[in-house]
Amino acid sequence: MEIVARASTPAVDVQINDTALRLRIREYARQQRKELRTNTTDALRFGLGQIKDKISELENLGIKDVQGMASRIKRRKHATGEDMYRLSHAFLQGNENITAFAEVQGATQVIIKEFTGTQMQRQIEAAECLCNYSLGDAHVCEKITTMAGSYLVTFLDSKEPRLKRSCLWTLANILATCTKSASMLLQMQLASKLWKLYTLPVNDINGYHEDAAICLYLIANRAASSITAEDRRYIAENLHKKQPGEAAADYLMYIVFQLEIVSRERDLCAPHFQHLLQFFVENLNLNMNTAADKLRIVYGVRVVANIFATRPSMGQLELQAEHLVNVLNKLFALRDTNLTMDLMQLLKNLIEAQLLDNELLLEHIRVYA
Amino acid sequence: MSSATLLTKAQLQNALNSISAGFLTSAEANKTEPILSPFKKLGVLIDLEDIEEAKETKIPLYKNVNTKTTQTQYYSCIQCRRQLPTAHLLDLHITEQHDLYFAVSVERGDKPHYTCYIEECPLKFFLPAERKDHCIKVHKFPANYRFDQGKLPTKAKSSIRKATNAMDVNVGENMNDGKLPYIKAFSFGHPTQRTFNSRKEKALLDVQAMREALDDMD
Repeated sequence: MEIVARASTPAVDVQINDTALRLRIREYARQQRKELRTNTTDALRFGLGQIKDKISELENLGIKDVQGMASRIKRRKHATGEDMYRLSHAFLQGNENITAFAEVQGATQVIIKEFTGTQMQRQIEAAECLCNYSLGDAHVCEKITTMAGSYLVTFLDSKEPRLKRSCLWTLANILATCTKSASMLLQMQLASKLWKLYTLPVNDINGYHEDAAICLYLIANRAASSITAEDRRYIAENLHKKQPGEAAADYLMYIVFQLEIVSRERDLCAPHFQHLLQFFVENLNLNMNTAADKLRIVYGVRVVANIFATRPSMGQLELQAEHLVNVLNKLFALRDTNLTMDLMQLLKNLIEAQLLDNELLLEHIRVYA
Repeated sequence: MSSATLLTKAQLQNALNSISAGFLTSAEANKTEPILSPFKKLGVLIDLEDIEEAKETKIPLYKNVNTKTTQTQYYSCIQCRRQLPTAHLLDLHITEQHDLYFAVSVERGDKPHYTCYIEECPLKFFLPAERKDHCIKVHKFPANYRFDQGKLPTKAKSSIRKATNAMDVNVGENMNDGKLPYIKAFSFGHPTQRTFNSRKEKALLDVQAMREALDDMD
């Protein structure tokens, strides 16, 4: 009947085509809305207990509920999407829920089993559940690291952006909580993996630079002593992959300084020194209004001071005297006491390195008392 | 105003003389006030709709990142269809399980061939067990690491068992104590898994079986 109608009236045919097209456009718009909504949800991140203030219509989940859910998933040796959703919400509601779950022997293993399974959606849900679980105390983080640390590090190379991001968030929570876990993660070559993500080309739409930079910052801040010589060498060899002006470039100098990448023991070659010096000059924003600006200036000065302390030869560094003096004068003009102290150290190291005409340098430099 | 407090060349020289040249260390720097505020741990809010939709949608109409249940997000082995989460693990799997050249190189035993599961680790080992020990001791991997290549996938294992029985060969000699991996033999347009032929005992399922069949012909 349909064929007859189509053959007899071409107008109806056009109408059917129009309807199909409209349906497709509607479906496409629906998908796009959903994608945007999910991205917004992804951006919704909460601290421990904060969720109660933000969302009024929240299912109140207590220790008893968590224990019940934990025993159920343990009994079934499997956690459904809904189980993990409820557990995630319970973890967000308070530390007592996290502790209660951690106390149930074998429950964490079930979540990890889902996390390492073959169904991507389930893996993502488990990763998000683990992320909220990592809001717990040091012993919980240690448990996660022992059981799932290797997978968290492995999945940083995964193709699924949401899984990758959840792993980065979980790792950041762990690194911020427990030094023992941090050193264990560093043994899994986490630092090199993070550096790879940090220095990915900027055209990557998913952009993990900021999250990777936060993890590296936490390592540099809390576990710099646990970082291995191989990791340090890897970072030193791949310094040039981070360019000024790229996402999360503010953290670079802090990481380089805290991890002592520039030191007497390490043989950084001339291009690396040149890159760091150029990075410092190009990335400089000459005001100290924001924390990012301060981070960039303060640690940039310290790294450059250490570069000069290695006594590089004339051939190793191409210094444009006039430009360098200009930059130093602008920095001295900020008249920040701690910064001036570091700048004086930089100046002393520069003079000792005999890279420029020292007399001329002292004549042109403007230091305020 | 600024010129009033500007140091003269002599004053600057004096100030610099009181400083000794050297490295600034992180220990000294940490004495000053931290620039960034302390890191605040954050969790993530999951949307129940996503979970429900993923349950309902078996094959998504459009490639949506969040409801993806297809296998495109994995690295799959074209030969045995094993799915692995990273390119490095897939690379190791293909080399160790399906590469005849690798198998011969391992058999020769002149240099280590088994690469560490961590891409960034440059070490290589003679035996999968040595690699496993290394991963557990040095990299703190769990003993039951899920993506361990030492273990053969169940499908492959059963195929080997079938092939061994079918060709009625000496088991010890056939598997070379597990050294020779499972490598699928050639198919001439009629893959074994789709055939109606029930006479599986004649199928040459792997290279080992094929080699022995050729020996028999001689």
